[in-house]
Amino acid sequence: MRFGGKRDKRRGRAGLADTGTSSERCHSLNSGSERPPIRWGRPLEKNNPSTERQSVLQREREARDWNVRIAIPLPANMSRRRGDDDEVLEPEEDEEAVLDEEEEEEEVDEGKSGRKRRRCEFIDDVAEEDEDEDEEDDDFLDGGGRRGGHRHNRRVRSRYIDDIAMVDSDGEDDEDDGEDDFIVDHVTDLQDDDDSRRMHRRPLLPREDDLEDVEALERSIQARYARSSHTEYDEETAAVEQQAFLPSVRDPKLWMVKCVTGCEREAAVCLMQKYLDKGSELQIRSAIALDHLKNYIYVEAAKEAHVKEACKGMRVFHAHAKITLVPIKEMTDVLSVESKAIDLSRDTWVRMKRGKYKGDLARVVDVDNVQQRVTVKLIPRIDLQAIANKLEGREVPKKNAFVPPARFLNVDEARGMHIRVEHRRDPMNGDYFEKIDGMMFKDGFLYKIVSMKSISTQNIQPTFDELEKFRQPGENGDGDMASLSTVFANRKKGHFMKGDQVIFVGGDLKDLKGWVEKVDEDNVHIRPNAEGLPKTLTVNEKELCKYFKPGNHVKVVSGASEGATGMVIEVEGHVVIIVSDTTREPIQLFADNVAESSGVTSGVTRIGGYELHDLVMLDNRSFGVIIRVESEALQVLKGVPERPEVALVKPREIKCKVDGRTNAQDQNKNPVSVKDVVRILAGPCKGNQGPVQHIFRGILFIYDCHHREHAGFICAKSQSCIVLGGLCGNANINGDTLASTFSHLRTPTRVLQSPGRLPSGAPMDSGARHRGGRGHDRLVGTTVKVCRGPYKGSRGRVVDFNGSSVRVELESQMKIVAVDRHHISDNLVVSTHSSVPRCGTSSETPMHPSRTPLHPSMTPMRDPGAIPIHNGMRTPMRDRAWNPHTPMSPPRSVGEWDSWVDANPGSWGTSPLYQPGSPSTTYQAPTPGSGWTNTPGCNYVKAGTPRDNSHAYANAPSPYLPSTPGGQPMTPISASYLPGTPGGQPMTPGSGGLDVMPPALGGGNEGLWALPDILVNVSRAGEDTVIGVVREVLSDGSCRINLGSNGNGNTVIAHPTEIDLVVPRKSDKVKIMSGAQRGSTGKLIGIDGSDGIVKEDATLEVTILEMNILAKVAQSL
Amino acid sequence: MQLHPRHFGRDLREKLVAKLMKDVEGTCSGRHGFVVAITGIENVGKGLIRDGTGFVTFPVKYQCVVFRPFKGEILEAVVTMVNKMGFFAEAGPVQIFVSNHLIPDDMEFQSGDMPNYTTSDGSVKIQKESEVRLKIIGTRVDATEIFCIGTIKDDFLGVISNPGAAA
Repeated sequence: MRFGGKRDKRRGRAGLADTGTSSERCHSLNSGSERPPIRWGRPLEKNNPSTERQSVLQREREARDWNVRIAIPLPANMSRRRGDDDEVLEPEEDEEAVLDEEEEEEEVDEGKSGRKRRRCEFIDDVAEEDEDEDEEDDDFLDGGGRRGGHRHNRRVRSRYIDDIAMVDSDGEDDEDDGEDDFIVDHVTDLQDDDDSRRMHRRPLLPREDDLEDVEALERSIQARYARSSHTEYDEETAAVEQQAFLPSVRDPKLWMVKCVTGCEREAAVCLMQKYLDKGSELQIRSAIALDHLKNYIYVEAAKEAHVKEACKGMRVFHAHAKITLVPIKEMTDVLSVESKAIDLSRDTWVRMKRGKYKGDLARVVDVDNVQQRVTVKLIPRIDLQAIANKLEGREVPKKNAFVPPARFLNVDEARGMHIRVEHRRDPMNGDYFEKIDGMMFKDGFLYKIVSMKSISTQNIQPTFDELEKFRQPGENGDGDMASLSTVFANRKKGHFMKGDQVIFVGGDLKDLKGWVEKVDEDNVHIRPNAEGLPKTLTVNEKELCKYFKPGNHVKVVSGASEGATGMVIEVEGHVVIIVSDTTREPIQLFADNVAESSGVTSGVTRIGGYELHDLVMLDNRSFGVIIRVESEALQVLKGVPERPEVALVKPREIKCKVDGRTNAQDQNKNPVSVKDVVRILAGPCKGNQGPVQHIFRGILFIYDCHHREHAGFICAKSQSCIVLGGLCGNANINGDTLASTFSHLRTPTRVLQSPGRLPSGAPMDSGARHRGGRGHDRLVGTTVKVCRGPYKGSRGRVVDFNGSSVRVELESQMKIVAVDRHHISDNLVVSTHSSVPRCGTSSETPMHPSRTPLHPSMTPMRDPGAIPIHNGMRTPMRDRAWNPHTPMSPPRSVGEWDSWVDANPGSWGTSPLYQPGSPSTTYQAPTPGSGWTNTPGCNYVKAGTPRDNSHAYANAPSPYLPSTPGGQPMTPISASYLPGTPGGQPMTPGSGGLDVMPPALGGGNEGLWALPDILVNVSRAGEDTVIGVVREVLSDGSCRINLGSNGNGNTVIAHPTEIDLVVPRKSDKVKIMSGAQRGSTGKLIGIDGSDGIVKEDATLEVTILEMNILAKVAQSL
Repeated sequence: MQLHPRHFGRDLREKLVAKLMKDVEGTCSGRHGFVVAITGIENVGKGLIRDGTGFVTFPVKYQCVVFRPFKGEILEAVVTMVNKMGFFAEAGPVQIFVSNHLIPDDMEFQSGDMPNYTTSDGSVKIQKESEVRLKIIGTRVDATEIFCIGTIKDDFLGVISNPGAAA
């Protein structure tokens, strides 16, 4: 394509980037500016361009086979060089040959033109010639060649640098008569432009005879173009900035013409044909069909009318084809080359574009440029079975959505499947191949011949794993480096930055180190780290590799572990191994993906809604704190107090984030809440201390900045910690726990107004006073009486504690006032027994509201139904040690559920009441062994019960039961209302939430929940979870369990807290653990959310039951 | 240095120094490294009372012994943890990681009860509690800690005493 004139040429230069030469080019341009413009003599041909064109077109027709982009006119020297394609890849080597050839031609030229040629400085080098020649190369513009030709002529002879690269240089020294012979051209650029344009417009002469020998034709074209190009422009252009190459308003315009889809090329060819036929009548300059642009071709012409005229009557254009002008600015984009096609060479890494190997990495083994075919080496994805079937003539399903995984072929395996394996020698290269079903294998690799189009060669960045895989069989180590270096042959551009330390990995300067000074397109200017070298060297980036020394602190700038930082511990050529700052794990990386940095980052701190240090649920049983965020995964420190257990999870494996604030009790029954500083007294991290970050199910996550592992997080049982500043004596545990009870109650509630709420408060003894020193926590929530000051005599609840003043919510006035710390008597607290009357009185009222919501709780707990229960009891229980959080968050997800479920001794919220959500823990509480010692022990004491009560749980229910008119016995559910009454509590676990568990109701009696023959997971402290079969349920609720899924392992006795049910799957045999059918077995025929559809064995009835009352029955039984 | 008003009195200075020691010793600053011990107080400036809290801030100039490892430094350290990636050693407060790439090639990782690195002939063994001499090849200094990468892949580096041998 020709825009005509010098601009055209310049534009081309700007638009075309070719590897390896741009800097030289720049160089010559610059030096050119120092010289006066010199002009070559005008060639004869100049007056006769139409002839030229004619023949060019002819050539072009011949050249159609190669054509990818058709344009008019073709570069003159194209044909000759077409054969050189391969050679030009190594410019230096074939330079001589080309020159020789040139010279020969020159002689012919000389003869024709009679013009003296001078040696001149050519900007152009071989690479540029490539452009000219690469007709096959889609990305090239034909114009490039011509431009190249022009440029040749404009060089002054002083460009020695380029001499070597000179292709079209002519007679050389022998003819070098001195500069006197030059015609110094004073014609301005403008004129020049005009000249050239005029030339283009000249009509074509009648065709030359077609019979002319191709060679001769070629030569003549060559000659003519060489001549003409010499004359057209003057030297000055060299000095002009690149800008000037761009098309201007004076140049012909580019029009975009719509044509029939799929006929883009045809359109261009037709236009060309038309041009040939009609000659001068057609006033368009060129037609371009771009492969990537469907439905349009570009036509170059001065006026729209010309384009219309040209397109008129052609089949491929619509009758009124839309013609759009391409804005000048965008003209270059139309023809600029995005990136040069990479010459495929052996050992290049490519990726397959289609087929079942799509996306797979492959390595080029052989290239056939003629047939456009490449032999690649792949890790086969074949299904031997399928082949075997096929070979045996069996039916093979044609469409197979399943892509077999990539793995190496094992010939023996194939033989084993009676697949015929031919072992034969490839006649071409003498290698031996195994041939199976027409496929060639060697060393387990599949050798496949594919079309060049079906592989992508751009920006192939094999991952480390892929490369590892590739070199797995046989090759060990050796050849590894070689293969790696080829990885970088086509790496992405622009990864070198100024200041990077680099090392030469190829070329003469191998092993030289230096720093990047400047980066051009493909070339990097290096300040070498050695004496006696020029200040900067300009080298191709392919010869460079980033260089790091062990000990450097680096950051990963791309790749899988992007964002991580670490220290280099080893460098092996292109590969660096770094130790990540955060994980202390070595990471293997390509040097290219790494940049030096000083800062420490862990990379991202947030991924998919989960942030660093969040507490998350992994599944029903496990939870943990995110201690590290990687680009695709999270590291979670699991809530296992026995040992630090870190799991790497993907965001989707996380069930939910937990942010419910719960409380726990420390060893001394002091309440622990988030942010309290605790010291760990037992366990692996004994002695550490730090603020509590999360509390969950009695597990504390403590952050200790001195702890080096797991991002400073430590997981510990709340019981094995002690709150710093808390009380340790048991002497006044009563008062202490009283206070602690209320420390939970941070939320002021209106309900406090109820008269029943401040009954005979057990006097709070001195313990309370000490607490003042410890912090506000202790007092907050207590009920106090103001004994001095303006509010003397009024009672209220402490909502805040600030230095010497206390903010008290007055009961009588419904407002919060600030009272001096010393003006209150803090010995007024709700006592346990207050609950008795309260239960009596308050439970009546609340009973009603609660009744309704109860129903849902009886129905399968699909939507963790206990919420209504909370609602029901919210009112009456408000003032109790009820965890304020529970009632307040009715819309609770299952995950959160779990947060309440556990036998967390610390809070009411976790009382078994809520357990419907999680089968695993539901039944734990009632068992006296565990549940009571912990849970009630705290709960009750907390609630202000006299301590003794905490021991006698069995008794506890009785006194209170009668007092609750709600009538527990009648509706088992009513138990769920009882949490307020300590007495009721013990039963709730069994009955309450789950409603249907009579045994538990019966009096806090041992967890009969476990039944023989069911499969359970046994997770004991310090051991992994193992599966086992319950053999016997002991009277204390413990179970004798045979480990192993068939129950053939060791027999252990496990505590109910240590076991939980194995959730059955569809069509498993199940045992119903609760309800009327308790003990009966059935088959789980379906699962619907949290409900299981069970077909009972005995009755053959199909019932829908809660999943969590279904236990899987051991297989063997 | 902030001081609570309740400490005001005759022994204010002592209190101040005590608090300084408590607060500063054992910490790590990126610039200076670990503060090992305070050796002397140069001067205590005038206190500045903070509004609202009553706390008083004293500028204190003090001298102290600091420990800051440098690249290339040779240290002796005690191995604290051995795993397949290498081993961690501690030299005082500094944790040093020696990757298996930086352990001589003839030493191999042996897993088991007591993971260790052993030479092929079994003569040298690096396990927990071993004392090793290593060279620091890189340091990372955070606000609160210094972490180093070390190597024993060099002449005269390696185990200098073994717990087993000592016992």
